[in-house]
Amino acid sequence: MSETAALHFYWRSQPVPFRAGETLAAALQRAGLSDLGSAVGGLHGRYFCGIGTCQACLVSINDASPVEACLTPAQEGMRLSPALLQRSAEAGVSS
Amino acid sequence: MTRADVLVIGAGPAGLAAVAELARWGLTSLLVEQRDQVGGAIYRRHAGDGSHLLLMPEHHRRRRDALMMAYSQAQQRITTLMRSVFIGVDRDGRFLIDNRGLGQVQSVRPKAVIVAVGTVERVLPREGWELPGVVTAGGMQVQFKETGQTPQGKILLAGSGPLLLALAAQLAAAGNPPLAVLEHAQPLASAWWQGRAVFNALRSWPHVQEAALYARELWRARIPYLTGWQVQSVRRAEAGLVVQASHSSGVQRTYAVQHVALHDGLIANATGLPQAGQLAEACIVHAGDGREVLGASAAIDDGRRAAQQVARSLGQRCDSSQLDQAIAAAQRTQAALAQLFQAAPVAPTANTVVCRCEGLRRSDFDRLQVAGSAHELRLVGRFGMGACQGRFCAHAVSALAHERGIDFDPTAINGDVPRWPLRPVSLAALAAYAESESAPESVL
Repeated sequence: MSETAALHFYWRSQPVPFRAGETLAAALQRAGLSDLGSAVGGLHGRYFCGIGTCQACLVSINDASPVEACLTPAQEGMRLSPALLQRSAEAGVSS
Repeated sequence: MTRADVLVIGAGPAGLAAVAELARWGLTSLLVEQRDQVGGAIYRRHAGDGSHLLLMPEHHRRRRDALMMAYSQAQQRITTLMRSVFIGVDRDGRFLIDNRGLGQVQSVRPKAVIVAVGTVERVLPREGWELPGVVTAGGMQVQFKETGQTPQGKILLAGSGPLLLALAAQLAAAGNPPLAVLEHAQPLASAWWQGRAVFNALRSWPHVQEAALYARELWRARIPYLTGWQVQSVRRAEAGLVVQASHSSGVQRTYAVQHVALHDGLIANATGLPQAGQLAEACIVHAGDGREVLGASAAIDDGRRAAQQVARSLGQRCDSSQLDQAIAAAQRTQAALAQLFQAAPVAPTANTVVCRCEGLRRSDFDRLQVAGSAHELRLVGRFGMGACQGRFCAHAVSALAHERGIDFDPTAINGDVPRWPLRPVSLAALAAYAESESAPESVL
């Protein structure tokens, strides 16, 4: 395999391989990670429209503000987590 | 950074055609694109090693290649900002752009703006459409273009419109044909009594060729194209998703799959965007499928026409009558297709999520007796209040309100004042903008 096969980011603590130039959403899909954690209204984060419009695939990278997984190019070592903090999701707080 | 004459938002077919045409008239442009490559969803390129040949009609490929050539030849007059998202216009008429690569919001004061942000898919609410594993047909297609790999496991396509056929054929050609395409409309049956629509659709030879290409692939892969069928519900199961489908005759059928792609047409996209017109600060023109859904070829023509309109507003003399004719022909074809794919609306069941961002169901709407307007539905009921700003629920909410005798245009759900920023922006990026405001060279 080529060098690019060694690239990884992390979903929670799980390593997810990706190819250079791919979005986070593409790599998550290939890894079978379709559930992106608790979201507002008892729903779950998930890939849907693929063009940044529906805002359903928001994730947090390295604990920063949420971004669309479908638009954001994957980079080595990124640490992804659900966009909504676990505490707020449990309390049903809509941000 | 340069001070460009024109800001062009979106680097799909319309945006690329616009910047290339502006360059022909000696105008400079700043092209802002949310992704890390140009071409838009329609011309999304394969990422990673090797290449991936997408099933696509030849005339489509030729127009794409000519467009990319025109764009690369006009580079001297174009500044392209990748991974940059238009987020709104501030009080002083500055157009704000979240440059995510730099981690900073930037502003620009152009003489004119061409808004070419592309279409939004229409997806009708059905029970379970909010579940992980259920995506839009366009969403599945754009990811497939990018990775060159079909989703693993069984796939079901459902809804209405020609895009379902295109996606089914492309998935089949790549080795994972969907179990079936459930088309809600009866395009073949209605062809018998919609003679005029058939005539108008057949007048466009490229569309006929395209349909034949996809039909051949569906036939080769033995994919059932079932008309008059629709998805009733999607439920989570141990090994994926269980889809309950029904025919207009009442016959029911169940599919066990891993992926469901839904699609009920494409709609223009003006949510939260500055309105077209000649403002004091800038001339604003909308172009491409975001203005009117006519397909990629017409979007190229429309992008060029928008550029010529801008050139005229800046004192150039140019004639757009040829482009007008080409766009009128595309309108005729699209109107004919829309007629053939006409389907009766479906009322969502009580348990169906209507507003996906806020997780609000039909039952939440029914409980909301006090709200008597779009404004109240949003402020009291929180319908359309979420991060998508109503792009995926406005039509359904407007239809439900209509049943209750409250009539409003779907766009009214978003209110009179655009809700800026249009997309999530980090406070750090905003803070970096505030800091840079004192340093004038940071203004693009």
